[in-house]
Amino acid sequence: MAMDVAERIHEQLTRCGITLAASLPDDWVAPLIERITADNQIRHVRVAREAEAVAICSGAFFGGVRAVALMGATGLLTCTGELATLNLRHQIPVFLIVSQRGSIDDHRIYQEVQGRRTIPLLQAYDFPYHIIDQPEDVTSIPDAFETCRMQKRPFVLFLTRRLVKGEGAS
Amino acid sequence: MRAREAIDVLARNRGETVAVCALGMAANEWWAATKSEDSFYMHGAMGFAASFALGLALSLPQVPVWLINADGSLCMNLGCLLTEASQAAHNLKHFVVDNGVYQTVGALPMVNGGRTDYAAIARASGFPRAHTIEALDELERQIPAIVAEDGPSLTVLRVEPEKGFLRTPPMTYEGPEMKYRFGRALERRFGIKVFGPQGY
Repeated sequence: MAMDVAERIHEQLTRCGITLAASLPDDWVAPLIERITADNQIRHVRVAREAEAVAICSGAFFGGVRAVALMGATGLLTCTGELATLNLRHQIPVFLIVSQRGSIDDHRIYQEVQGRRTIPLLQAYDFPYHIIDQPEDVTSIPDAFETCRMQKRPFVLFLTRRLVKGEGAS
Repeated sequence: MRAREAIDVLARNRGETVAVCALGMAANEWWAATKSEDSFYMHGAMGFAASFALGLALSLPQVPVWLINADGSLCMNLGCLLTEASQAAHNLKHFVVDNGVYQTVGALPMVNGGRTDYAAIARASGFPRAHTIEALDELERQIPAIVAEDGPSLTVLRVEPEKGFLRTPPMTYEGPEMKYRFGRALERRFGIKVFGPQGY
């Protein structure tokens, strides 16, 4: 991720009032996680499985703390059961920042299913999402966060390869 | 020691604690013993009451948070012990009701058949304190010290499996109502804002 993009996202998360982050790294979101780790205003929780991040953020909601879960697209697929039976069940908002792996410019064979099936899966659950593809759109994060709270369910903010790696990067 | 007896001891000693209960037997028994709305009762996400409790404990560091977990739920997310140990939340205590079976579905045996020492796993994961309690009188004797000690700690309560289904009824509300009752209870008790000015 280009440093300025991680910095911009971090700045917007601060603007949202986020003071807790739970993460399991994917290489596309790793620079953002490193920035958050260095921020002593945000409590960063490293987890061993992505659904832990979902439940940690859900618990934090009831402590009046604004939280974000960070992970890769494969991790998002692993926690759909918890997102359904905890967050959808009780209408608990959880804000997730996820790398949009498996896109047409992500030439990794082990990501191609995630690219084809992740968004249809979110649509099946009726989980809202927003895709950030350009650095200028990073400023939409506070609106996305507020929408997550209003809709009272998981909201996935996808970061594209072009955004995190830059145009034409290999 | 029976599960209900162990839960009753915890309930009598809960003080100002906020509890998070794993789904099934733990949640139903805690509701029966406390009828508390400042407890969160999981209805799903088996294994992740632990993570939910950790997020709550980190967000309210001055509030004692107890996780009423069960062995089936713990085994579904053993990795939670690594995360709990690494975060070292001094206000979090983790109780595991260990009966060796999936009680809620009719007491079918678990995978490990009583061979596993959860307290040893917790210590090896980095918990500074972990206990195993086999008998009710032992629990009565030890609970004041467990309540008083700093977290994170893990206490395994070895209880007898009940025969067949456990018929303790679940809490009388669910889903979004549980969210609002729990959130509003915490707002009243701690003066925090869980919900915004328009109620969401």
